[in-house]
Amino acid sequence: MDEKPTRRVALKVLGATLGAAAFERALSPLRELSEITSVGDFMQKHYRELSRDEMNAVLRRLEDETQQRYGREVTIRDVRPTEGVQFAYALNLSVCIGCRRCVDACHVENNHDRPTHQSYIRVLEMTSGSMDMEQGNTGYDHTVPAEGKFYMPVQCQQCENPPCTKVCPVEATWQEPDGIVVVDYNWCIGCRYCEAACPYHARRFNWHKPEIPAAEINPDQSYLSNRIRPQGVVEKCTFCLHRTREGRLPACLEACPTGARVFGNVLDPNSDIRWVLENKRVFVLKEELGTRPRFFYFFDV
Amino acid sequence: MAHSGVPHHLSYPRFLLKVLDRATDGTWRFYAWMFVLTAIALVGANTWAWQVARGMAVTAMSDHVSWGLYIANFTFAVGLAAGGVMMVIPAYLYHDEDMHDVVIIGELLSVAAIVMALGFVVVDLGRPDRFWHMIPGLGKFHWPVSMLTWDVIVLNGYLAINLHVCGYLVYTRYRGERPDPRWYLPFVFLSIIWAISIHTVTAFLYSGLGGRPFWNSALLAPRFLASAFVTGPAFIILSLQLVRRFTAFKVPEGAIRRLLDILRVAALVNLFMLAAELFTHFYTGGHHAAAVRYLWLGMHGHHELVPWMWTSITLNLGAVAVLLTPSLRERRVVINTALVAIFAAVWIEKGMGLIVPGFVPSTLHELVPYAPSIAEWKVTAGVWALGLMVFTVALKVGLQAMTGELRAPGAQADLAVEAKEVA
Amino acid sequence: MLPVACEDPAGYADRSRRFADVPAGDGSRHAITVHRPASLSGIVGTEQTPQGQPVEVSCATCHEVLRPPPELPTSARTLGGPHSGLRFEHGSNECRSCHDPERYDRLRLASGESVPMTDALRLCAQCHGTQHRDWLHGAHGGMNGHWDLTRGPRLRNHCVDCHDPHAPAFPRFRPMPPPPDAPRRRADHG
Repeated sequence: MDEKPTRRVALKVLGATLGAAAFERALSPLRELSEITSVGDFMQKHYRELSRDEMNAVLRRLEDETQQRYGREVTIRDVRPTEGVQFAYALNLSVCIGCRRCVDACHVENNHDRPTHQSYIRVLEMTSGSMDMEQGNTGYDHTVPAEGKFYMPVQCQQCENPPCTKVCPVEATWQEPDGIVVVDYNWCIGCRYCEAACPYHARRFNWHKPEIPAAEINPDQSYLSNRIRPQGVVEKCTFCLHRTREGRLPACLEACPTGARVFGNVLDPNSDIRWVLENKRVFVLKEELGTRPRFFYFFDV
Repeated sequence: MAHSGVPHHLSYPRFLLKVLDRATDGTWRFYAWMFVLTAIALVGANTWAWQVARGMAVTAMSDHVSWGLYIANFTFAVGLAAGGVMMVIPAYLYHDEDMHDVVIIGELLSVAAIVMALGFVVVDLGRPDRFWHMIPGLGKFHWPVSMLTWDVIVLNGYLAINLHVCGYLVYTRYRGERPDPRWYLPFVFLSIIWAISIHTVTAFLYSGLGGRPFWNSALLAPRFLASAFVTGPAFIILSLQLVRRFTAFKVPEGAIRRLLDILRVAALVNLFMLAAELFTHFYTGGHHAAAVRYLWLGMHGHHELVPWMWTSITLNLGAVAVLLTPSLRERRVVINTALVAIFAAVWIEKGMGLIVPGFVPSTLHELVPYAPSIAEWKVTAGVWALGLMVFTVALKVGLQAMTGELRAPGAQADLAVEAKEVA
Repeated sequence: MLPVACEDPAGYADRSRRFADVPAGDGSRHAITVHRPASLSGIVGTEQTPQGQPVEVSCATCHEVLRPPPELPTSARTLGGPHSGLRFEHGSNECRSCHDPERYDRLRLASGESVPMTDALRLCAQCHGTQHRDWLHGAHGGMNGHWDLTRGPRLRNHCVDCHDPHAPAFPRFRPMPPPPDAPRRRADHG
């Protein structure tokens, strides 16, 4: 009777070993993780916890990783906001013709995934006389502007009361002093709760590692905006903060052939954006939700 | 109580070894069952590993429908975990003797269901390697603002409470001691409140989102609870019958009867709230009804969820009719079929029928449908298999402790008497 | 202990990283330049150079010589020479509404003042006051460069960059392709 339990135990140990080996084998694709992450990435602190020196070390590491993974030398900067600047954006719906040049400019400027033609902007073709998005359509592919239609580009509204930052369980997304809502792509865990919370379809998730040929990469990059995003994290429009925080206009505005877009510092009483807000009858999308967007729409007259 | 003299630091490791031994011991049926579950879990683990390495593009989710089968099952699993409390309440608040004998089954179900719920959250993450960002102190835990952090607290807390209560009871039985009420009764009562909280917080995850009118309803949390009190008892009643059939454990008929009573009431309340929700949406019309219209009737040529929902409501109504018919009360096979039907009905209603329409139509009113990919089904099956493995093993060990089969050498044999005393 | 979020929600461990170190500017502002369209100083002919480039002819090439000018045509159809084929769709205007009948290379304001072609903006503004007002405030017409003039210049589009003065309606054209994940309807393809 003494031998039987021993044999049983031996069989159990054998079974457990086989089981463990099988699980090890099943999980072996995880070895590929080295292609999308690194030890430095794993150990990295939250963006707001980094000292200047640590930040610089992170930027150099990210530049190296971009070189290795995408074969392109890029500059990644940490562009910080300027005191006394709060951004706002306005869009003239009477003038927009729905040509999607802004969509394309965003795609190029922000190093978006090429196969999915990703962009932070979607343009809704709306029916004249109605603000009902249910009658809107983003898939139009005909000469524009079409008769009886107007066009409404939608991107991140940079809400003053953003529902997306509230829900993030790890503070990977927050509002900066100049009003721009940013994401720390190296802190996001990819739960996509923010995507569910956003009422404007402004957030995008990297369902796979972004693909972009070396020659098409925009090498002027910043940590919080247009650097090539890692797989499995959420991203969003940042009003091109790598440009705008240095005084330049956002890429979507420069691409607009009709001048439907107005951008600037809302704290500057002489700015164009202030003039629009004070003299045009502006409105915001889904005002009833209390999100207080910094993105305004208006019609002429 | 010959064993009580052995100090804990010696007896606990021995206890764990014994538990491990018993957990891996069984008939050919047990081994076959565990083998099948392991195989499914392996397929799930492998698919999940691919998903992590290659990206979540292997799922059918998109920026339009950014949560799918995983979060649907997460929600359902939380309900199942909360449903276990429907044994605890009669046992401890109403001193139902029959229920007290089997209450540990409900608590063990809670443990297994929470493991599943946490599993579904993990497989839904784009970057599970950054899981530590959520650990308080180590990462950045956005509490109390983010409802998801509340969910992390309540789910892990519920897991800990139930593990403690079950573990303590099993361990004292092993030592042949009388469980000290001070060590577990407060936790039992805490677990009752906590069970309500896990499903309330999970409902708040969705109902707090103003941009999603389909979820933005105060009725969501009550509905979640009502449906949890349908699925939990349904699963337990079926489990009890399996226990009765395959083990030496005596399952009192009174416990099953009581659970059926609870289920009948909960099913009616659940249907009533569903009707109230549907009336409000359809009678009001407009944008707020768009998702409900898509769900039940289809929209713009899209009918992906319509067959699911009508299947769900048919199963639900049919099961309730059977359960409420007095002449069918003693027809066990019919009753069991009804239980399976209502379990499936709620799984559809609360899973796909709750998560997907939150995203269809999208916030820009675009109608992009969603149907889970093969990869999602595999991973989902894997997590279910893991949950069932946990449940099987936990049940095996727990019941052996209750019957006195799991006992330290020299510990007092007759515990059945003592169990009654404690109650 | 759980960290309670009563601290500054956007707090920085290194306070100096909160804002950019802005170099103290001297207060000077860069200029806003209005783009000068080529069509205001000449026309692109139908002839080609031996290299295959279209020939650009400045207004003065002909109009400095043709003086006094020939009689103004009554409509675009009667125009000949380098101006033949001109499409005219600008309300009930006629040539003299804008062109100086004395000097064809110049424009004439409603006040009778003769201005060079390059001052077309003033002429347009006479009728299109609201557009001109919006343009002055950056709310009409495209631009490039800087929103912050203390950091760099801005280049504004001229009316004529986008609007052909003889047929000013903005042209219709094919948009960039729709997003691949947009729900497509049959009516989308026109």
